[in-house]
Amino acid sequence: MSDQATHMTPDQTVLSRLSGVATSGVTTTVLVAALIFMPFLLGGSWTFTLGLCFANSIGVLAVSLLVRYGGEVSIGHTFFTALGAYSVGVLDVRYGISLWASVPLALLLGVTFGLLFAWPSRNLHGIYLAVTTLALALAVPEMINNFDALTGGYEGLYVSTPFIPGVSMGMQRYYVALVMLVIVCVAVARLRLSRQGMALLLAKTHPSAADAFGTRRVWARISIMGISGGIGALCGATLAFSGSTVSPGGFTFWQAIFLLVGSVVSFYGLSLPRVLIGGAFVTLVPQLLSASGAWIPVFYGLALLGMILLGHYMPRIRKAMAQKSEVA
Amino acid sequence: MDQTTNALRGEGIALSFGGIKVLKGLDVEFRAGEITGLIGPNGAGKTSLFNCLTGAYSPQQGTISYAGDRLNGLPPAARANKGIVRSFQHVALCPDLTVRENVMMGIARYGKAGWLSAFLPLPAGAREREEMARSADKALVDLGLPDVGDKFPAELPPGMQRLVEIARAVVGKPSVLMLDEPAAGLNNSETRDLTTVLRKLASTDLVLVVVEHDMDLVMSICDRIYVLNFGEFVAVGSPEEVRSNPDVIQIYLGSDDDE
Ligand SMILES: Nc1ncnc2c1ncn2[C@@H]1O[C@H](COP(=O)(O)OP(=O)(O)OP(=O)(O)O)[C@@H](O)[C@H]1O
Ligand SMILES: [Mg+2]
Repeated sequence: MSDQATHMTPDQTVLSRLSGVATSGVTTTVLVAALIFMPFLLGGSWTFTLGLCFANSIGVLAVSLLVRYGGEVSIGHTFFTALGAYSVGVLDVRYGISLWASVPLALLLGVTFGLLFAWPSRNLHGIYLAVTTLALALAVPEMINNFDALTGGYEGLYVSTPFIPGVSMGMQRYYVALVMLVIVCVAVARLRLSRQGMALLLAKTHPSAADAFGTRRVWARISIMGISGGIGALCGATLAFSGSTVSPGGFTFWQAIFLLVGSVVSFYGLSLPRVLIGGAFVTLVPQLLSASGAWIPVFYGLALLGMILLGHYMPRIRKAMAQKSEVA
Repeated sequence: MDQTTNALRGEGIALSFGGIKVLKGLDVEFRAGEITGLIGPNGAGKTSLFNCLTGAYSPQQGTISYAGDRLNGLPPAARANKGIVRSFQHVALCPDLTVRENVMMGIARYGKAGWLSAFLPLPAGAREREEMARSADKALVDLGLPDVGDKFPAELPPGMQRLVEIARAVVGKPSVLMLDEPAAGLNNSETRDLTTVLRKLASTDLVLVVVEHDMDLVMSICDRIYVLNFGEFVAVGSPEEVRSNPDVIQIYLGSDDDE
């Protein structure tokens, strides 16, 4: 790896070393290339499901980002996904406006509400903040039903305006989601190298050191909530377009929990392959659960527990093994 | 140039935690162009005094000013923006950032690139990062660490981590630089490099304060020394004056010689 590193710029070295393998850029490229061809190999329903996976991956990324850059856990990100989804749904159904305008609006609303939420909760940490985000999630279905003239209440909205004229809707739902996921992942990878991203990381691990070098804790908290909220809303916007229906059932408290679980099973990864694991989990598990017999949920619970424990102890086991081999 | 105009001053700084008086009304004047030593036994209150001066702690009494500007009530980040910078006794480097990036954090506050360039490949952001990286590399070279920029802090021995910590404080060309035990954990040659760097740093407009247990280092580089014990100054003066002060010999240097 070290001789490979000599061919890379320092920034490339940072990114590749962070993701563990020097080839991670290659892996991602190959994966994206494969995904581009998937619709030609898969049936329509699988293409549809995969599109949903991409959309949910963006939501998982929003939650993981908050963990990695803010050190905080959210169990209320459906608030932001709902904001984004209804931006797309309402603009499409009520006003016939397509993604060109509704995605920027979703981003704007997500960031704004992320900031608005962050300010009063800026001094809350850990479990206290998590419970506060829970309040957000619980409020979502109620709010949707209250504004039913706009949101369509329980019935929901059906998003059908094409984004790219002349391309079949099934294909659009897939590729828009894929492109959104790639864009968001690239943007998040860039954040890591930016002054702001580095300041967030320092503020997370050593708040007093960040303070001493001009980064206020409050700034850090508010910034990361704004970013995470914005990405959450992008997830919702993508879900609305790729999933075609926007209804309160997609933004329940359970969905918020699933986003967090997706983040955990992807080990809070921020790279495209990792968030895709989380997104697949969020998309597929509820489907399988609803279709399966009584015992299956228990097995899923156990599998989940196994994965989390593995993720928790793997670094230590690896470290211990490395030390052993050093001693030997 | 008048050394006392650009001084960092504290008057009557008193700090207590739950009734325990940690600092008992301290008057300090750390002058520009001098290296000031702050010494004293463990628990004397040296780090607490730094914390008061940088704004991490709010003393119950006393005023703090730099170059005539009152600093009381300003949060640490605002004091950093005035060029008041410190290193930490317990190395506070971010494990997720490379060594170079950790040092870059020492100048991040000068950054102008906005949020757009944090996410989008804009030339302004790239240029700024390059410049910051270059300054960081230079600071690392000055501290005798030319080849570690791409490593992560955990990959370095403790002595080098401390030097990185100092590089982060130095890189931003501070006007007040407070180093908390910069030589702790350094080997002899590292300490020698550090001494050279500190001498080079001392300039007419820099207020440089060093908390240190390494007496040879303190005595050799400092122009003035404050000796703190149980939150009170027992002596202030030149190295010679401090070294010959009987109180100091008894409470500090005396016990040091016995070891
Ligand atoms: N945040 C705090 N809460 C309570 N007590 C504190 C706090 N910070 C410092 N103290 C107390 O203040 C006293 C002085 O501590 P300080 O860290 O300033 O000493 P020091 O001179 O830096 O010692 P050392 O040489 O060991 O670093 C100690 O008794 C310590 O327990
Ligand atoms: Mg101390």
